[in-house]
This record gives sequence, C-alpha cells and structure tokens, in this order.
Amino acid sequence: MIIERSSEWKEGFISRLENQEPWDNWTLYKMSYEAVKNNLITDFSGLQSPKYLPNLTPLAHQLEVAETVISRMNGKAILADEVGLGKTIEAGLILKEYLIRGLVKKVLILAPASLINQWVEELNYKFYIPAIAYRKNTSIDYYDVVVMSMDTAKKSPHKELIYAQNYDMIIIDEAHKLKNHKTKIYEFVQGLKKKFCLLLTATPIQNNVFELFYLISLLKPGHLGSYETFQSSFSASKHSLEHDEYLRELVNQVMVRNRREETGIEWTSRRVQTIPIEFTKEEREVYDLILELKNVSSVFSGAFSMITLQKEMCSSKEATYLTLNKMRQNCTAQEEIAFVDHIIQKLMTLEINSKAEKVYEIISQANDKVIIFTEYKASQVYLQWYLNSKGITSVPFNGQFNKSKREYMKHLFKEKFQVLIATESGGEGINLQFCHHVINYDLPWNPMKLEQRIGRVHRLGQEHDVHIYNLAIENTIEKDILDLLYVKLDVFEKVVGELDDILTTFKKTI
Amino acid sequence: MYPQQVHDYLQKFFKENNCEIVHGNEHYMTVQLTVDMDKKIMNRPFHWQYIENTNGVPDPAQLTLITDQTKISKNMKGEVVHFGSPRLSQIFHTTRELGACVQMYERILNNMETRPILTPWLGVNYKVSYYCDRTKEMLYSLGINLMTGEVINGFQESITTKELDDQKSERAFLLPFIIKPLRALERLDAVIENLIQQEDHAWAEEAKSRWQKDQAILEHFYEEVEEKPECYEMEKKAMAEQYEAKIKIDIINGGLFYMK
Repeated sequence: MIIERSSEWKEGFISRLENQEPWDNWTLYKMSYEAVKNNLITDFSGLQSPKYLPNLTPLAHQLEVAETVISRMNGKAILADEVGLGKTIEAGLILKEYLIRGLVKKVLILAPASLINQWVEELNYKFYIPAIAYRKNTSIDYYDVVVMSMDTAKKSPHKELIYAQNYDMIIIDEAHKLKNHKTKIYEFVQGLKKKFCLLLTATPIQNNVFELFYLISLLKPGHLGSYETFQSSFSASKHSLEHDEYLRELVNQVMVRNRREETGIEWTSRRVQTIPIEFTKEEREVYDLILELKNVSSVFSGAFSMITLQKEMCSSKEATYLTLNKMRQNCTAQEEIAFVDHIIQKLMTLEINSKAEKVYEIISQANDKVIIFTEYKASQVYLQWYLNSKGITSVPFNGQFNKSKREYMKHLFKEKFQVLIATESGGEGINLQFCHHVINYDLPWNPMKLEQRIGRVHRLGQEHDVHIYNLAIENTIEKDILDLLYVKLDVFEKVVGELDDILTTFKKTI
Repeated sequence: MYPQQVHDYLQKFFKENNCEIVHGNEHYMTVQLTVDMDKKIMNRPFHWQYIENTNGVPDPAQLTLITDQTKISKNMKGEVVHFGSPRLSQIFHTTRELGACVQMYERILNNMETRPILTPWLGVNYKVSYYCDRTKEMLYSLGINLMTGEVINGFQESITTKELDDQKSERAFLLPFIIKPLRALERLDAVIENLIQQEDHAWAEEAKSRWQKDQAILEHFYEEVEEKPECYEMEKKAMAEQYEAKIKIDIINGGLFYMK
C-alpha cells in the first residue's frame, strides 16, 4: 500500500529547535486540534456536504441521488431525473462531497452556452465552489473549477489546453448532445480522462436505444458490451427489444432517475389531448399536389425535402411557400416549373388555415396565458399576425435572442400579453411556471423535444394543472409522426423507465 | 458547527491574534485586523506590495462578520460566516499555520517546597487519511517521553486538562533529553505506521475488487480490438487513480512539553 507523508511540519519544527523562529501560540494550537477533530470524516460512506451548506435545503430525492452515485456507482453516473427536479443540485452535492473529502481538485464542467452563467452562479452562491466561466484567454492552469461550452471545448486550441490538464472530475450537462458517436464532441469527450464523471440529461434516449448505448460507453466502456454484442442481443430491428428486463437492470447500475410522482412532492397533473384536425377541401388539394411533386420532377425526389414540404404544409402556407419557392430555382424543365407555379398559385389563394383556427378556438376557451411551439419561423410570424387580427396579443421567442431580450420577452408575456410563440430552439432554459397551457402546433420527430417543451411549464413551482394540446392533421404525415412518437416512447419506457404523459392514450395504441 | 460555536471560535481566534473587536454582539462582530492578519486572510498581496514599496501608511481592513443572520437587522452589511463558508475554512487554515509548533511547561504551584522536576515529551497530532474512490480520516495524538522512550496514545487529551505556560518557571528543573526530538519524531512516525498496519484494511480490498470488476468490463469492450486506442490506456489510468488505495499521513501540529 502506498503511504504518503508530508515533511512540512518537520521543517517548521527543526527551525524552532534551532531558534530561528519563535514557538507558536498554545490556544491556537488547541483550537487547531479541536477544529480538525470536529471536522474529521470518520466514515467512508455518508454525506458530509449538507453540513457545509447550511443555506441549502436539498430535497430528499436529491440527497438520495448524491448518496447512490457516490456509494453504489463509485462516482460515475448518468443523472437522468425528469425535467425540473434539480439535476444541477444533485451534481453540486456530489461535487461538493468529493471536494470536501479531497478526492477531487480539478473539475471541468461542459454545458450549453446559454446555461454557463447559471452553473457558475449556482456553484458559487449555493455551493461555495469557486467556479469560473471560461473565456478566450482564461489560463485554465490556475483555476480548479471551470465551466465551458461544449462547442468551445471541442475546438482547437481549447481542446489541447483541456487535454493538457489533469481533471479529476468531468460534469456534462444536457448530455443527450453526445448521443451520436460520430460527432466531434463525442470524440472529444471520449478522449478525456474520466476518473469521476457525471452526465446530466432528462432524456437519455431520444430516438433509439443505441443513443443510450453510446452514452454509457462513454461513461463506462464495455458496461453494455461491445457494439456487436449489444446489437445482436438487443435489437433485431431498431425498435424491438427482447431482453428488456436485463438491459434495464444493467442501465440502472449506472443511471439514476427520479420521476416527478416519486419525489413525494405534490405535483399538479398533466392533461394531454391530441386534437385531430381536418384540412379544408382547398388545403387538401394543395397537400395532394405536393405529394404529386416527386413524380413530376427529380428536384423533389429526395425523401427529406418531400417530408419537409409535407410538414410545412401542415403548419402554414407561409412556411411551405418559402421552401417551395427556393426549390423552384432548381427546376429546369418548363413543365416542372409550370407545375410548381400551379401549386404556388393554389397555395397563395388559400384563405383558411384550419390549424390556426383551432389554435384560436383553444386560446379562446382557455381564456388564459398560452404557449405555442412551432418548428417554423414563417409559421411563428404568421400566427402572430393571425392572432393579432383576432384581437389576441402575442410575443415571439427564439433561441437566437440574447439574454436580455429573452428576459424582456418573458417579462412582456408574464405581465402584458396572452400568448408566447416559441420556435424549438427558444425552449431551452426558460422557466414559465406562471403559464398552464401548451400548444404543440407542430410535432417534432423526437418525443423528448415534447418533454423538454412541457418541462418549461410543468416544473417545480407550477401550482395549476397543465394542459397540453398536440395538434395533428388527419391523413397527413403528422399521423405518421404521431405513430413514430409512440414507438419511440415505448422504447424509452422499456429501457429507461416510465415517463409522465406526453401523448394521449399512449399505452393503448401499442 | 452551530452558529454559536462559529461565533465563539472567531472571537477566540481574533483575540489570540491581537485583533480588536470594535463592536458586536452574540451574532455578529466588527473586527479591526492587524497588518499580519490582513495579509493572511484578505487575499490582497498586491495591495501590500504597493504600500510597502511606496512607504505608504498601512491600512489593515476592518471586517464585519455575521454569524447568525436570522438574529440581526436586515440592514447590517457584513460577511455571513458559517460552517462551510470560504472565510471560515480560511481561518481554520490560518489557525493551523499559527498553531503548528509549541514549547510548553507545566505550571508549578508556588507553595511547593522542593524544586520540581519536569520531564520532556514530544507530542505530535497525526491525521491519517485513507483514500480510494472513498475516504476516511483518523486522528492520533501520540506522545513520547524523551527520557524513557515510553509512548502514549491520546496525548493531547491528557495534557489539555493541565495548566501549561509557554515560559519556564525559574524554580523548575528541566531534565535533559536522552532521545533527541528528531529521533523521537522518527520513532513516532514508526509507531503510527505500525498502528495503521494493525487497522482493518478491508476497505482497500473492496476498492480493489471494484477496480477489477471495472477493469474486466473494459477489457471485454476492447477484447477484439488488435491495436488498442489511446482512450483504452486513458480509461485504465483513470481507474488506477480512482481506486488505488493510498494512505496519507499529515501532522496537524506538535511540540515539546515539559511535564511533571
């Protein structure tokens, strides 16, 4: 066994014996001994951190997570609580514990750029951990706890600087961004030494079970076997899982997950409705013409562009027009152009947007604040105009807004306007507990995006039931999306665990 | 440590370091630091360098420390100090630095007729930390009689009940060392190692088996890879750092004690 000794005290003692320095104060000597005795960590297990944090009152499930990760998972884990249960607090508790016990000194925290300041503030003010945000010329040799964006970290020269450090602990927030093993960020994290490592994500599976495989292989390579063995034992096709129980057990050895209803906190409930909508005859005509496009022109033969157009047609004519017009530039043959022009002409004469009318109906009935999520900026603008014409005030919300504009828009929504219309990227990191109605105007392919959207509203501090309206147009691609969402949710529930309602009557459709 | 204990500790600390408490009650104190104390706890080396280089007038800070925020008026400006706050851990650290080595004499009562004889002891307080992916700490206070070589455990507890002075009474007769203090220190270092060896080290075995388990998983992952990538070595290194059992021996403080 390795025994380390420090000779510091001995040197001081010798210099006093040789009369080079005066002897120290007896009272301070006794105080020092008493302080060490009182602060002694007498047990390998148990948490020291709470007594160092008298101003923080962690919830029971948060303490339990910290203890489990340290004593059962040896400090390497995925923290996968549902959105809004305080994963940052859990990570803070674990980090604090390791710092107090002297097991960790240098720490790297990777987070999306928009959450960096929040991390720095929470660590400093709630946990008394002197974390700093990394800027271009920060010399990381001198700082023990550094918070950095993933996008910065994976690039030179930052990447090389990080590799040259000897980090004891790596914390990665929104770790589902590592689901793809072919990305630069994945490769970067793979190359980091991970003595202790926490991956934070509410949505460890977004599309398929391999995402979880790659996430776990990053944390603990081999825990789920090699890629080949995993593939052969767990997936005949991507979505059907045979050894559910076994896989779930393996996953639970490296992942902790709390659900809202298990936390012992009173949660308001979610009331989810899927609202089917019928196109008008005119809308249906345009939709069918768009389907016809792939037979008319090779420009539209790509599956991706066809899907985009169909989805846009389910959203608004404005969104459809932008894409269609752009693709028209690529057409060369006269009859192709004529066909596209014909569609555009029909499109522009449409006077009714059935989905928007449904939105108006929902807002009128709710008679309360409402958030609308759409995938398209053009639809966002259209909806704002349309609602305004009906006498309903609204504010837009996008990911590109800087911090002060975000805050201002949130303020306007809270104090003055009835509706907030957000695009997908605007969803991350805003908390809107004062609102209780969420309309998913367009459906994303990824069910976890829906969960993230709902999580903006249904989180700690929400006092009312939350109403969720998923809009889907009958006999269109939206029906396929809905089916696929159900399948993906099923995979998630089998491997990761139960989820709060996102879609209606989920169980029955499987 | 409760707010009251923190308060008492701070009060005692500043008093012993000649920092005057200007005003305060049981829940807060405003203290005038000395130049030395300012240098130790205010983290402003450049300020002091500037003052000294320009022959400026030293201006040690006045500090208001609040030990129980709930019991004072909201308007009071000051730094809240509690167990776990950076300020308190800094003060613990300073205490340790300023109370590292002592030389003490047991007090002699004046009414004694004969000339009392004092025997020299070396007392050392050790903190032993066990490290793997977890930690545990033990405290040993050892004393060795520098005449006879006798070693006792629990030395600190046995002397704190006695009256000690940092000056020798003129009437006291000090026995000379037979064992030199540095030799005695080596003896105590050997004793502590012996004590450690007698402890139960199941924790190290358990850490080793956790390590082996993780190692096996890793090997399995790369089993069929002929040329192992860099991250394989990285993972192995990380595991060694995570699980390898280590023992660290620290001396908190120690000194020469002349006892009856």
